[in-house]
Amino acid sequence: MADYRLDCMGEACPVPLLKTQKKLSGLNIGDVLIVEIDHSCAMKNVPEWARKEGHNVDIEETGDGEWEIYIEKTK
Amino acid sequence: MDKKIMDYDVVIIGGGAAGLTAAIYCGRARLKTLVIEKSLLGGLATYTNEIENYPGFPEPLNGLDLMKLFEQQAKRFGTEIKLTDVKGIKQLPDHTFMVETFRVDYHAKSVIIATGGKPRLTGAANEENFLYDKGISFCATCDAAYYTDKEVMVIGSGDAAIEEAMFLTKFASRVHVSVIHDEGVMDANKVAQERAMANEKLHLIWNTMVAEFRGEERLNCVVLRHTKTNELIEVPVDGCFLFIGYIPNTEIFKGLVDMTRQGYILTDERMETNIEGLFAAGDVREKGLRQVATCVGDGAIAGVSAEKYIAENEYLDTRVFQNKLPVIAYVWNPTDTTCRELLPALDEIGRIYKDRISIVKIDAYKSAHMVERICDKTQAAPPAIVVLKDSAVQGIYRDCLSLEALQKIAEEFLCGARSLEC
Repeated sequence: MADYRLDCMGEACPVPLLKTQKKLSGLNIGDVLIVEIDHSCAMKNVPEWARKEGHNVDIEETGDGEWEIYIEKTK
Repeated sequence: MDKKIMDYDVVIIGGGAAGLTAAIYCGRARLKTLVIEKSLLGGLATYTNEIENYPGFPEPLNGLDLMKLFEQQAKRFGTEIKLTDVKGIKQLPDHTFMVETFRVDYHAKSVIIATGGKPRLTGAANEENFLYDKGISFCATCDAAYYTDKEVMVIGSGDAAIEEAMFLTKFASRVHVSVIHDEGVMDANKVAQERAMANEKLHLIWNTMVAEFRGEERLNCVVLRHTKTNELIEVPVDGCFLFIGYIPNTEIFKGLVDMTRQGYILTDERMETNIEGLFAAGDVREKGLRQVATCVGDGAIAGVSAEKYIAENEYLDTRVFQNKLPVIAYVWNPTDTTCRELLPALDEIGRIYKDRISIVKIDAYKSAHMVERICDKTQAAPPAIVVLKDSAVQGIYRDCLSLEALQKIAEEFLCGARSLEC
């Protein structure tokens, strides 16, 4: 179980979601992917997609309009 | 991994207009308040490019900007915000609530459900394949720029559909709008309809609904079905926006709170659900108009109701239910002269039986709810004396109330109580 970071700062939809999907597919179950974003549009689709896939998702607001999405891969 | 448990006075589920307004009211009432939002604060309003009818803002403003102001205001009153998904909610035997999330269980005296709605899907073939940035979108504000100089389709004819379609024409080369109604009929407001008819980039396709979504990796064609002729119409597009209404986010509350068949939560005018201390506010509630303005009203009421619920419970718990002494509860209405005239007699009883009987006043005008909690409300219309011992009602007296009568009640009660002890 390891933590990985994915820098999506400055990137608009749909790039953060596509990068997240690609990165997560290469991780092992139990790994945590931390996606760094600063576009509110990505806050709408990245967590929703990850939850729909069944992963555990938590979000931290790290600054004004900046977030870290924690995705724990469950399957 | 052991789950952490954290205590709050109020937990608000959902950080949209209703949830954040409730948070402002709870925070300002100095309640320890937590808002749990699953992703982006602001709710469905953040999907709107221009909000033109929210009072106080005469110039149209972006939904995201407006909701940012709600957030700032809630934070100013000390509201805490947690961005995570609520898995479920349970009522505990002591009538408090447990709100469960992935890492933490939040324990709360009162909970406000403000989970709002989510966009409705068409149910057409292959829809699932193109969700999540593969061509089907619900947010013109978010995705319009991506479709600059491309062709898009909008499904729907309500306010959201037509207003967002107009917004999309600023970017896209052409915006097709599939309308289910006959030519000239739209659900949107008249102003939006007129603007739509005059916009050359808008192409209205009447009497149609989606039959199928087609594409490879991404969507590249929407197949419409004519509702009268059943004719299939292939429209090549780069993206499709769905604005065909919303469905309430209430799956996790099924079986716990009363809802309509569509899943909207039923509340009374204080925003309380069928469960005491559990409130609902905003779009998630069964009501006639779902707007930021109506969510704000709901949120304010729910916040104040939760505050009142907590205060009343604490009063009843300490003064009545956990009271070691027998209790004479005076159910009164301060606007009623007869009720007011009995107050000195009550104070006198309090003095005579100091340390033997506890006198508690319950304002039935302000808190009918509190009367319900101690006895059958229909039998205790003010002015009424309710005598309790160990939380159990020993008698309700409504007739000929006077100092003498009260003293008689107290004496009888003390003797009775004493003889019971013997």
